[in-house]
Amino acid sequence: MTANTAARDIEAPGVRIRDLTVVYKTPAGELPAVRGVDLALAPGTITGVVGESGSGKSTLALSLLNAVQPPGRIAAGSVEIDGLGDVLTLRGEDLRRARGRQVGYVFQAAQNSLNPLKTIGKQLLDLGRSHEVEDLRGLVREAKDLLARMGMDGARVLDSYQHELSGGMRQRVGIMLALVLNAKVVVLDEPTTALDMITQATILRIIREVHEERALTTLVITHDVGAVAEVADSLAVMYGGRVVEHGPVTEVLGEARHPYTQGLIRAIPRLTGDLSLARALPGRPPTLGTLPAQGCVFRERCERRMEVCETDEPVAVNRDGRTVACHAADRHLTLIKRKEFV
Amino acid sequence: MITGTGITKVFKQRGGVLGAREVPALRGVDFAIAKGGAVSFIGESGSGKTTLGRIIAGLESHDAGEIVIDDVPMSSLSHRRRQPYFRRVQLIHQDPYSALNPTRTIHQTLEAPLKLRAKQTGRPRSWVDGRAAELLAMVGIDPGYVLPRYPHQLSGGMRQRVVIARALTMDPEVLVADEAVSMIDVSLRLGILALLKDLRERLNVGVLFITHDIATARYIGDDGELYVLYRGQVVERGATEKIIADPVHPYTQSLLSAIPVLHGLERPGAERVVPREMQREGEPDGGCLFARRCPFSTERCANEMPVLAREEDVEQEYACFHPRRRSVIPVGVGE
Repeated sequence: MTANTAARDIEAPGVRIRDLTVVYKTPAGELPAVRGVDLALAPGTITGVVGESGSGKSTLALSLLNAVQPPGRIAAGSVEIDGLGDVLTLRGEDLRRARGRQVGYVFQAAQNSLNPLKTIGKQLLDLGRSHEVEDLRGLVREAKDLLARMGMDGARVLDSYQHELSGGMRQRVGIMLALVLNAKVVVLDEPTTALDMITQATILRIIREVHEERALTTLVITHDVGAVAEVADSLAVMYGGRVVEHGPVTEVLGEARHPYTQGLIRAIPRLTGDLSLARALPGRPPTLGTLPAQGCVFRERCERRMEVCETDEPVAVNRDGRTVACHAADRHLTLIKRKEFV
Repeated sequence: MITGTGITKVFKQRGGVLGAREVPALRGVDFAIAKGGAVSFIGESGSGKTTLGRIIAGLESHDAGEIVIDDVPMSSLSHRRRQPYFRRVQLIHQDPYSALNPTRTIHQTLEAPLKLRAKQTGRPRSWVDGRAAELLAMVGIDPGYVLPRYPHQLSGGMRQRVVIARALTMDPEVLVADEAVSMIDVSLRLGILALLKDLRERLNVGVLFITHDIATARYIGDDGELYVLYRGQVVERGATEKIIADPVHPYTQSLLSAIPVLHGLERPGAERVVPREMQREGEPDGGCLFARRCPFSTERCANEMPVLAREEDVEQEYACFHPRRRSVIPVGVGE
């Protein structure tokens, strides 16, 4: 355990996203999909980012590769990765090499990101050649090891086309391709969406185990709070392009401070406990066009809205290792007490 | 009341060097759905749950077995005379983005079936518009806003509500909801589930809920019945709350164990069951269908197929030679 932790301290790079703003060009002008996001991924940890559609979570993930596509544009901020520098300043060949080598990316629906006309092995060799890997045999060996590690017959999988593999197998192939060049920062975008329950549990376990064995810094993007809860160390909640809450996963879930996080947790049907306590969040998530120009982005759906929320955007405040961006967050305790009198 | 006995369906796959291959989708399934009741089919992909839902909605044929709707066996009727019976079962599609015709306004989408319904029930043409507005209000959306709009102008949650309103145009006795919330934003899901629950109570309409997520099934009908399907066989069946609290079949236990634990709010169950292997396609039959993956299987399981039955000391039915209660589901931290 100690040796493992020590290895992690040396190897796993930290990632610091600072004041990141990504805008998309629309007929109504440039609108921010991600705005002023500060997020640090501690070396050797798994950070989960949860958000609904339009929350900016996938855009945030793409920024780690400096891969936001037009009509999107990274307008401000920096993404610093240890040993690589600010990714947003990389251009051309340097950027291409960093993708895959330093930052591995498992795309949403890995099943659809594989080439249907080539075997997995061919795609692996393409990847190796494009990154000037000299020892291609070694690369194949490494790939087989990784696949075996994830419970698959490596030789068979490398000889297969993607249609010959099940959803769970393709997802694991995606993870293998992201790790085979020995990337130390790994981004997984919706790694378990569209998978069956048991397969999801297996993939989450594999992500956790591989993360620890290889001393990675991992970012998991998902809409599923449960999936993140199972795998992540820390949890960032995104809404309307902002990180509204961030902290250790057990604390954020156990004692959520932002009204959106609280509402999201309340809206999850559970296996035990009183069903009548589950409640839907009123309203619906904002889109780029319906984001309010000033004030808090969540105020329309918030049960604790105050006057100040209409005009001032809450700033993220860090207190005992947790970050919350809400005007009402500090009044949490008084509000709970008040309810008891009712 | 809709009942089915011995429903069997085999899909024939063509192609491959060995020629046609037969894939059993349903292996003699019995079920009963009462008016106003809640029945959930739980299982992974390939369990046959969607096929069974489509057969119940009259959208798919079956190879053997009988479906009885309000005491009338469907096999005794011609295809044409069956239609009025299957009208009483309406399907809510999984994907609200492709279930609505993009070239029609919501008004047009609801008008067509309502005109038909007016003709069937001898109501005047003027009834149609009022009914369309009434149905939209019933599913919790503003008719004035929605009626003149096209599907692309509505959010996913609103579209799913329109799909439900369209299903209600036929005055169904049973709604078949196949993964009805899996494509909806998380914060809006519970609203759709609450609507289905509410329709059950207000309209006394039965809900057949098909899902891989047992927690949502519990929300729709904790007083209802749960069927756990595996490769076309019902492996456990009984009261929803009972099966969640006290599952005895290792497959049910695997499904429940796979539900993510909300660390901070919950602790994992003490005896979580993890299958030995992943599911494979085209597995041969013989013995218990779950035997190869089951951590508790014995020689008997490999050779003999257990049938769904009830023992005296257990409330639910199950198909397993070695049933045992295990505490697999997460426990609330405060409990």
